[in-house]
Parts: sequence; C-alpha cells; structure tokens
Amino acid sequence: MSTTTETESVPAPEAAEETGRAPVSGLPFWANPRLGLLVVLVALIVIFSAIRPAFLNVQLTLVPMQADISVFAVVGLAQLAVLSLGHMNVAVGRMAAISAFATGFAYDRLHVPLVVGLLIGLVVGAAVGAIAGWIITATGVNSFVVTLALDFGLLGLVSLLYSRFSSGVAFTVRPPGMDALRFDTFGDYCTGNICGPAIPLVVPIAVVAVVAVGVLFRYSRIGREILMTGSNAKAAQLSGIPVGRRVIQAHALSGLLCGLAGFLLAANNGAFSASIGEGFLLPSFLGPVLGGTLLAGGAVSVLGTVLGATLTAVIQKGLNLLQFQVDEMRIYIGLVLLVALSLDRLRHVLAERRGGRP
Amino acid sequence: MSDQSVLEPVPTGLGNRRRVMTSMHRTEVILAVISMLAFVALAATTNGNLLQEGTLRAVFQFLAVPMVIGLSQMSVLAVGQMNLSVGVLTGLCAMVSASLMVQNGWPAWLAILAGVALGAFVGLINGLLVVVTRINGFIVTLATMTVIDGVRYGINGTATFQGYSDELVRLGRASVLGAPVVFLVALVVALMVAGFFARTVPGRQLLASGGNPLAARLSGISNDRSIVLAHMLSGLLAGVAGLLIIALSGSVNASIGDDLLLPSFAAPIIGGVALAGGVVSVLGTCLAAFIVRLVDVAQAQYGINPRWVDLIVGAVVLGAVLLSQTRDRGRAR
Repeated sequence: MSTTTETESVPAPEAAEETGRAPVSGLPFWANPRLGLLVVLVALIVIFSAIRPAFLNVQLTLVPMQADISVFAVVGLAQLAVLSLGHMNVAVGRMAAISAFATGFAYDRLHVPLVVGLLIGLVVGAAVGAIAGWIITATGVNSFVVTLALDFGLLGLVSLLYSRFSSGVAFTVRPPGMDALRFDTFGDYCTGNICGPAIPLVVPIAVVAVVAVGVLFRYSRIGREILMTGSNAKAAQLSGIPVGRRVIQAHALSGLLCGLAGFLLAANNGAFSASIGEGFLLPSFLGPVLGGTLLAGGAVSVLGTVLGATLTAVIQKGLNLLQFQVDEMRIYIGLVLLVALSLDRLRHVLAERRGGRP
Repeated sequence: MSDQSVLEPVPTGLGNRRRVMTSMHRTEVILAVISMLAFVALAATTNGNLLQEGTLRAVFQFLAVPMVIGLSQMSVLAVGQMNLSVGVLTGLCAMVSASLMVQNGWPAWLAILAGVALGAFVGLINGLLVVVTRINGFIVTLATMTVIDGVRYGINGTATFQGYSDELVRLGRASVLGAPVVFLVALVVALMVAGFFARTVPGRQLLASGGNPLAARLSGISNDRSIVLAHMLSGLLAGVAGLLIIALSGSVNASIGDDLLLPSFAAPIIGGVALAGGVVSVLGTCLAAFIVRLVDVAQAQYGINPRWVDLIVGAVVLGAVLLSQTRDRGRAR
C-alpha cells in the first residue's frame, strides 16, 4: 500500500515564491512529513496509554476508534480528491448528508438490501460532485465559491427532504446487516476456536476506498492526468489531457467518497439523520493537510491522509479519556494542527539548509 | 435605503483599472436595481405590511450584523486571503464583553471596547500566523476557528448571559429619525471601511498587495504587512459585529456566530468581490447583505419553511457569480 504520489517537481504557486526550494526527492529522509506524523502518532499513543491504561482497552477504546478513523480517513480522501486539482470542496458534509438521505430513503421506502442502498448513496454523492465539477468547468468560477453555494443549497434541501419524507429528522429503519456493521467486529465471527481480530466491520470498507484511491492516483491514467491538471492546467491542456472532464471526474470522486463517509457514519451511529456530515469540514482538511498534501494541487498523499486521520482520532479519543470537555478538545485539536503544520514548515526549511539543495 | 448613494464605489488597485472599475460599477448598479425591485415586490405582495414601521425597523435592525460580517470577510478577500474564523470570533467577542459586564462588573463602554479590541487582537494573531509560518490562510483560520470555538464555549459553557446592561440594550433597540441605531452604526462602519480602502495609504497598499503581490513588492510595499493588516481589520470588524449582537439581542450564549460564516462569504461574493484579491466593493457587499436579508424577510412574511432560505441564498450566490462571469467573458471577446 505504498500510496504516496507526487508528480515530478511540482511547480506549486506557493513553492514558487520561495527561493530555490528543492524538489521533494532531494530532501533527506527525515523531511518526509509521513515519518514525522508516524513519530508523533506513536509518541501520543505511548503517552495516552501511560496516563490512562484504558486507552489500550479493546472494546472501550480501540474498536470505536477504528470506526472513527474509517470515517475520518474517507472524508479526508474526499477532500484529497479535489485538492489534487488545487480545488476545494467545502460541501463535503452536505454531500455526505444528501447521500445518506438517499440511502436512508431507499431503505425506508423501497426496502432495498444493504448493499443496494449503499450503491444508491454512492451514485447520488458522485452525481452531486459531478454537478459541482461541471459548474466549475463550464463557468470557470472558483471551486470554493461553487461548493460554498452548493453547501448552502444542500443545507436547505437536505432538511426539507427529511421533513417531507421521514418521520421528523431521521430514518430509523435498519435493513438486515446494518446492526452487524454497527456493533460487530471480526472477533465475533469464529471458525471453530479461531476468531478474527477485533476490527469493526466498517474498517475493510474504508481500506478498500484507501487502496482504490491510492491505486487511482499512482497507477491509473485518469489519476495521473488529474494530478497533471492540478499541477498546471494549461500545460495539461496543451499535452492533450481533457482537462474539463478530469475536473468533473475528480469532483465526482470526491462526492462519491463523501457518500461513502456518510454511509459509514450512519452505520456507526445507527441512523440516517440530517445531522450527518455536520462536523466533516475540519477533519476533511486535517487528514490531507497533516499528511502533506498541498492545497496548491498536483501532489497527493493517500497514506499521509490516513495517518492524519488516525492522528486526529487518537487525539480526540485520548483527550476524551483524560476527561477533557468537548470545547477544550477543540482548542487542543486546533493547536495541534497549527503546531504540526509549523513544525512541518520548520523541517522543510532545515532540510533545505542541510544540503537538500541540489 | 437612502444610504446607497452616499457610499462611493471603491476604485480598485492595479492592472486594468478603468475596466475593473466599470465592471465593479455595473455589478453595484445591478445589485441596487435587484434590491429595489425585490423590496418593492415584497412590499406590494404583502399588502404594504413591509412598510409598516415595526417591520421596516426590524428589516434594517437585523441587517446590521450581516453587513459588518460581510465587510469583515471582504477585508481579507482584498488581499486574496480568507478568514474562516469570523463567525466564531464574533461570538467570542460578544461572550467576552458580556462576561466582563456580568461577572466582573465592568461598565458597558469599557467591556464593549475590550470585546472589539479582542477581535482586532485575534485578527492580528491570525495575520502573524499566516505571515510567519507561511501556511495557507485558509488552513490557519480553520485551525484558529477550532481553537476560538473551544474558547467560546469555555467561557460560560452553554449557559446564557443576560441582563448585562439595560442602557446598552435600550440603545441597541432605539431609533434615530426612524432608522435603528445599530443600522446607523453599521453604516458608519461601512463608510469608514470604504474610506480606508479608497483614501488611505495602507488601504491602497493592501489592495495593491492583493492585486499583484510581485508588483506590490517591487513598488516597495510589504505584502506581509498588508496581510497582517487585513486580518487585523477583519478581526476588528468581527468584534464590532459582536458588539452589535450584544446590543441587539439582550442575551448571548456560546452558539452565537455559528450561522455567520456562510453569510460572511455570501455578501462579498454576491457583491462582486473577487476571491483572488485586489478588488473590494463596500457598496456591493452591503447591497448583497440587504438582498440576503430580503430573502429572510420574505420567508418570515410568507411563512415559508426557513430551510428554503439556505437553498435560495445558495442559488443567489451561484447565480450572481455566473452572471458576473458571463459578463466578463462577453467583454473579453
């Protein structure tokens, strides 16, 4: 699962301002943001479990944390899909909400099986994402503005839909298999005396998404062309890449992953409600940005996104166990983001001084 | 609505100055026409209910905060930055002022001053973080938004402050010659912001930095200083919005400001302010805030599900941007 992907010598606008920034490959190994993230992650886990041994409790902490990480990682990937273009998707939460509505509607009214409902949600998410991408390519309007307007629109639409089609604010119906997805781990399924590891059933779904996105951006033609579009749209166009179509595809992918994240969260919560996706915006940026994905586009790090999402979940769970209030947790998560990013900058500067220069 | 002719269209900094100016001008004229038509249509379809004194006062009373918050976002957009922390910062300033009055017994004017100063200070920190760390402003303010959000709830939990200052609240609900005081305050603030960008050296430098950082640097302008200044101004205006909320509502809790982030972007974007920086339009931003307010009023007057408001505002934002885009393209041909 080596899924770190960078196009050669990314001419990112931010990098261009600095003098003589070396290409990433010229930096020493410790300048790799993924490594720093891993060190911080291990250190935090050691600290938390030293203070609160309950941090390593399987049922109480580790299992729910894995479910959280799955959601955060997929949300991060949804943002990463458009960051690869240098675009943003501020409507991640609402795209997840509208897909979750579609899934819940399908279960409640059409009584479809679990997998069909999931597919319906994914298709709706991808369609909404594609609409965003289409508006962006057709008009040339900044992706931030388009997805912001879409966020507004979907915010209204989702609650209207719920108040019209559900009893109140949520679909409570659960198709067969939903409860298993929510409560069971592989540890509950045994063959003879051998049981699976204590991994929730939602985790493999997220892993599939991570691997698929990693393969897409590293090996597939579409993925590489999306990255080139993000790196330099004009050059991409001149080399025969259908830039408009790639933009639409990247946004559709983002919408699809939003839909998946919405489904995973609904599975974890046990209900399809209008509040799904409300807190998605911050984690969606936390994962990719901590993992070293540039906002400028042209380079993504799928593995870094997973690490970033894991770090976020570990911090939340750890502070939770240390009995911090929710508002205090927000303060620390914000500070951690700032400190981590500042350290990342510092490491870059140091690496350049220490012979990172070609 | 007599204010609109008072505000000058702000000429923009660099490049094709005349062309941009006329484009800006046209956006403002279109917005003015739309807001007039919408207002008249609303007044006509509600049988003149809108023109009754109480209703009319409420329309302008609750226009003050969206206006100021839109200007707050506009000041950072002017240098090509964004400030995601405006909403929560407004809430924080309101909470701190109220807490100083209720828990520490500060006089109202001092507490309010402290709240506004706090806004400017947090803005300064935002700006310094952007400049010193060179992290994208979007990410920096996303992080500070999270931090401020936590601090805001830390002050008083989910409890409400009320009865902090009767005089202040009376002032907030008072009117001068039929115009609500809070609206007049917002108007004065808008005029000052317009004057800042149009007439003062730092204001012009700020626009120059936003329009073309390289050219600005070559002409001896410190882009870093412009960025810090823009964030400080944005924080200051968020503080002013907090002040207005305190005076208007009579009671504040930690959820104040949660619903301000999206409107803060809607007003300048509809008003024709470019996200790339270098262009501001105080008049356009205020008119856009007025149009968004009218959508709210229409919802209340017709008894529509409030959720339609978000849907319509989203459509209006997109429509406004599309309109200006097609116009730009038409001219370029």
